Amino acid sequence: MTSSTTASFARRWPLPLALLAVLFVPVALAGPPAPLKLPDLEALAAKATESVDITLDAALLGTAAAFLDPSDPEDAATRELIGGLKGIYVRSYTFDKDFVYPSAAVEMLRKQLATPGWERLVGVRSAKERTTVDIYVSLDHGQANGLAIITSEPREFTIVNIVGSIDLRKLHQLEGKFGVPKLPLQESPPAPEKPAGK
Amino acid sequence: MNHDLERRLRAALRPVDPGDDFSAKVLARTAKEPAHFARPPRSPAVAGWLAFGLATCVVLGLLLAHQWQVRRTQQGLEARRQLIEALRVTDQKLDLANRVVNEKERAPPDSGA
Amino acid sequence: MSGDEECTGGELLTQALAGERAAFGALVCRHQRAVYSLALRMLSDRHAAEDLAQEVFLQLYRSLASVASEAHLSFWLRKVTMHRAIDRLRREPRHTGVGLEEAAALAGEAAEGDPILERRLRSLLAELPSAARAVVLLRYQEDLDPVEIARTLKMPVNTVKSHLRRSLAMLRERIADAAAADAGVATRVALPGEDRSPP
Repeated sequence: MTSSTTASFARRWPLPLALLAVLFVPVALAGPPAPLKLPDLEALAAKATESVDITLDAALLGTAAAFLDPSDPEDAATRELIGGLKGIYVRSYTFDKDFVYPSAAVEMLRKQLATPGWERLVGVRSAKERTTVDIYVSLDHGQANGLAIITSEPREFTIVNIVGSIDLRKLHQLEGKFGVPKLPLQESPPAPEKPAGK
Repeated sequence: MNHDLERRLRAALRPVDPGDDFSAKVLARTAKEPAHFARPPRSPAVAGWLAFGLATCVVLGLLLAHQWQVRRTQQGLEARRQLIEALRVTDQKLDLANRVVNEKERAPPDSGA
Repeated sequence: MSGDEECTGGELLTQALAGERAAFGALVCRHQRAVYSLALRMLSDRHAAEDLAQEVFLQLYRSLASVASEAHLSFWLRKVTMHRAIDRLRREPRHTGVGLEEAAALAGEAAEGDPILERRLRSLLAELPSAARAVVLLRYQEDLDPVEIARTLKMPVNTVKSHLRRSLAMLRERIADAAAADAGVATRVALPGEDRSPP
């Protein structure tokens, strides 16, 4: 995690998300919020072509942390990253048709996040990708102690709820190390024609 | 994009069935094998019973301890795997947010993006 | 992964250890897709894959007492399947590509999404060196992370990551080349370590 990586991170992430990262400096906090009440998504999982259903409470996070190798730099960084967490809850569903998941599920979550204590930090919609992203943060005396991300894409619906404090800068610096090494992003147009016989 | 290729690979590598009679073929082959894991017969003599009982308790204790250790290791590895997957999904969605926000910032004011 | 599923798998294992053949058969049914698919994508030959998968379960039958739990069973099956497949590939003469018959067999798999791209990916996967192929399969078919892959294949974690990095780069490059070739432009890209001599 070098300074150049941090600088690159600051350039890539626009102000709202950089602000989010600053808010998440891990500090000793008063009690974090309760985990979000997630909608019953059993029926949704049955229709999905792929689903991710992860519930890691404090005990399981402790178990996972015990199996992170402190001598491995990436494992050590991950351990540090989750040090302030009380829970991580992920539900992610991929479908083979557009928008087959009920909007009622999304609305139920937004209602919970419209209560005092939660603030919407990012709420954007891309007409081009038909995607909506909302990021909420739970604040206690000005410090963030909970995060909720809801993404609504044509064929994928994802909820991430993190309880506790997490340094998003450190999460981003670990990007590409969770399984697959990061390859250079290629957002260029299709490859130009090459001469025949090369 | 990296994520797109990964998703395509997962789709391309969905497991497939070996055929309806596969398990029957396996069982047919195992029928020719001796039952290696069958329990040993008990000794009829009283002293033999005692010795056997003691030995069984010791072996059972060691086996249980071993099984507990293996189970704990497997559970820990599974928790670790889920943690890494959760962090990966979180980072992926933050990237998505970043991309959508950047797209809006780049779009002309009247594009409605 | 629900607690109920784990309990049922554990019960089957206990019953199989007690000598119940039906329970062992149920264990085979539960795991045959994963074992066979790994073998198929390693060996690119349906008959060889089925034969290898049967041998794996036969070995399981012989070694059942050493399996402690359902989770350990999954780990054991993956490990034995991959090691056997790699051994078999090392013993057989090396070839640079997938034959037409195997390609047709691989193409026969049901595909969703983009079937042409998925077939192409599977064909390209079959051209990877055996160790790299094993790593990619364990990552994308079995969804293991590099540490678990390293444990399964008894390989350093950094080697696993290196295989993943290079393999994905190669796959992406080959797909781009194939797309260009489809558009009527011929390209020729050298695969690192590719053996160009005739089989």
